[in-house]
Amino acid sequence: MKRLDISKLDVAALLGTDACVRCGECTLTCPTGGEAQDVELITPRGKLLRMRDFVKRQYGLRARLFGPKGIEDDELEEFSRRVYECTICGQCKVVCPAGLDTIGFWENMREFLVANDLGPLPPHQQIVKSIENYDNPWMQPRTQRPGWSKRLGKEVVIGDSLKERHEVLYFVGCTAAYDPNIRAMAEYTARVLARAGVDFGTLGNDEGCCGSTMMRTGLSDSTKGMVLRNIERFEKAAPALIVTSCAGCYKTIRQDYPKYGKLPAPVRHITEFVGDLIESGKLVPEARVDRTVTFHDPCHLGRHNGLYDQPRSILEAIPGLRIVEMERNRDDARCCGAGGGVKTAFPELANDISELRVADAESVGCEVLCTSCPFCYQSLKSAIASSGSEMEMVDLMELLWQSLQAPR
Amino acid sequence: MILYEPIMIPSGMKDSLGRPSGSLLYIALAVLISAFTAAVLLLPYDTVYIQEETYLLWFLVVMSVCFAVFLLGMTANALLWMRGKGLAGTPEARLLLLVSRAVRTVFSRRLPGLLRTFLKEAMYTSKLRTLSRSRWLAHLLILGGFAAMLVLDVVVTICLDVFHWSPMIDSDGWAKLLMRDLAFDIAGLMMLVGLCMAIVRRLVLRPRQLATELADVASLSFLLIIVVGGFVLEGMGIDGAIPGHESENAYSFVGLAFSYVTPDSAGQYYDEAWLLHGVLSALFVAYIPFSKLFHMIAAPITITLEGLATREAGRR
Repeated sequence: MKRLDISKLDVAALLGTDACVRCGECTLTCPTGGEAQDVELITPRGKLLRMRDFVKRQYGLRARLFGPKGIEDDELEEFSRRVYECTICGQCKVVCPAGLDTIGFWENMREFLVANDLGPLPPHQQIVKSIENYDNPWMQPRTQRPGWSKRLGKEVVIGDSLKERHEVLYFVGCTAAYDPNIRAMAEYTARVLARAGVDFGTLGNDEGCCGSTMMRTGLSDSTKGMVLRNIERFEKAAPALIVTSCAGCYKTIRQDYPKYGKLPAPVRHITEFVGDLIESGKLVPEARVDRTVTFHDPCHLGRHNGLYDQPRSILEAIPGLRIVEMERNRDDARCCGAGGGVKTAFPELANDISELRVADAESVGCEVLCTSCPFCYQSLKSAIASSGSEMEMVDLMELLWQSLQAPR
Repeated sequence: MILYEPIMIPSGMKDSLGRPSGSLLYIALAVLISAFTAAVLLLPYDTVYIQEETYLLWFLVVMSVCFAVFLLGMTANALLWMRGKGLAGTPEARLLLLVSRAVRTVFSRRLPGLLRTFLKEAMYTSKLRTLSRSRWLAHLLILGGFAAMLVLDVVVTICLDVFHWSPMIDSDGWAKLLMRDLAFDIAGLMMLVGLCMAIVRRLVLRPRQLATELADVASLSFLLIIVVGGFVLEGMGIDGAIPGHESENAYSFVGLAFSYVTPDSAGQYYDEAWLLHGVLSALFVAYIPFSKLFHMIAAPITITLEGLATREAGRR
């Protein structure tokens, strides 16, 4: 009989299992359980109540009086699989009338699974090994990290923040740095920053994985060294501001890093920073972009960090652009399906969810689906192809850059 | 997690010599249960309607036991939460520290924000209102009725048995008519309407997200039996013209309506019905920590903490 170790569960998580009123509001909007599969155990309510059942069976009053009950291995394995099928999009948090911080809860539940040798799943292990060996999840050598900037040539000079001080440290993130299909995100970000005359640099080869993947799969304990190394590099670079173009890195550095150490500078997402540059007149989008666009709110930006207006203000500043909102937008936006390690462990499920989001965008008749997160970009682009859509997937900085092309 | 922030627990709380002993918790519980039992048994109950004193004693004993079960059940649940990470010491010591921090928070400058959040988010359930007006209304009626009845019970008991306040005692006293008759009936009616709405939704409309289990039916049935039982009891009292219901029964308008459907002879079984209603109500209290109804304790905590965290994060 396996005796579960619940000492890794947050007090708030244990309290939350009792606060759940089983109303099922979360099951209606959960992208994984409610819509893609219709399996109760994947829904937030299903997982939460199963967790409560496990805890009560082994630590409840009856267990204290008459001894704990065993839990079958099959039951635990299924539970673990279902927990990892969650994209941690946070939609359940938005609708939970009991005020449960489910985002924290699902991340914590994975820590609990890891502590009990029930996680992460084998596909995640590959990524973990890559991060441990190469400091990125893409099994790419460290020396390739600055490769994204090659196409920029002499057009934009990327400073090395570890050699000379720059006002802004641009934290590129592994996906934009290594994935050839996403590199454009980093390129356009650099172009936009340069156009605004921002004094910025990167950590070059020395930029390490932010640790998001590890944390979202329950390996927070193993992430400590990685986080502290990055904070040390930030201290050495001593910027006035850290800017990220990756929503995942942004959430991790902004919300998780302070648990490990003090950040030497505030961190902002590129949409916040560029939004301010436009507002202050340092960036003036002049060229018309006569297209119809809809914006997909990345979970890590929106529900996790409350950034809804900033990307929209950038779109609104682009002349000619017709912005339409999907029916589900802002805190009700459907997840792209890639988060929480789902794309790694369950690629088909991730694509099913992405296709639902693409259908959302199709239904409002847009030509361009725009976002500001490399993972959303990656999965939505692939779902556009798999669903036979003719929409174009565009990163927000690329769209902005099109409007910055006018002669000044 | 706001629970780990200074609001509740000092950051970096260490297992130090200064921490309270876990046994203190059990001593505090024993004192609380003894005090409650003593108070319940020592009150004079001069104005209780029933004539049969043995029934009254039975009820008081059952209520004391049920209150003890309620407290122990609550403590057992809270001790389970305290097994979570981030805190030092035994679950009992952690719980004591948490309670002391919570009390200090309540009496700090955070009180206005805490109170506002508690009333708006946890009691008024503003989020539920945005999700479904009908569910919100049903919940508000049940919760409001329940809370009102709890407050009325305490106020009326104190007025009657501690202060012997005549406007609350006399058959035609204004406080008796407005509080013991009218207010109780309004509170009960609120619960009754809310429960009917919840039952229709769960058993007739059956929206897709609802998964009805025994625990749901048990909780709703228990509440319904107590509420309807209370009105039937009042109707029986009016039928039997027991002291307090000899006249001016229009204030007990729901009980009066029930008196028309209960046979006139029902009044002679008033004492037995009173005992049954009282015992069921006491059992309901004991049932709370072990049932779905425990959310009425746990959910306001999570809602208030989350609401406060959001509120304070927004201010930063």
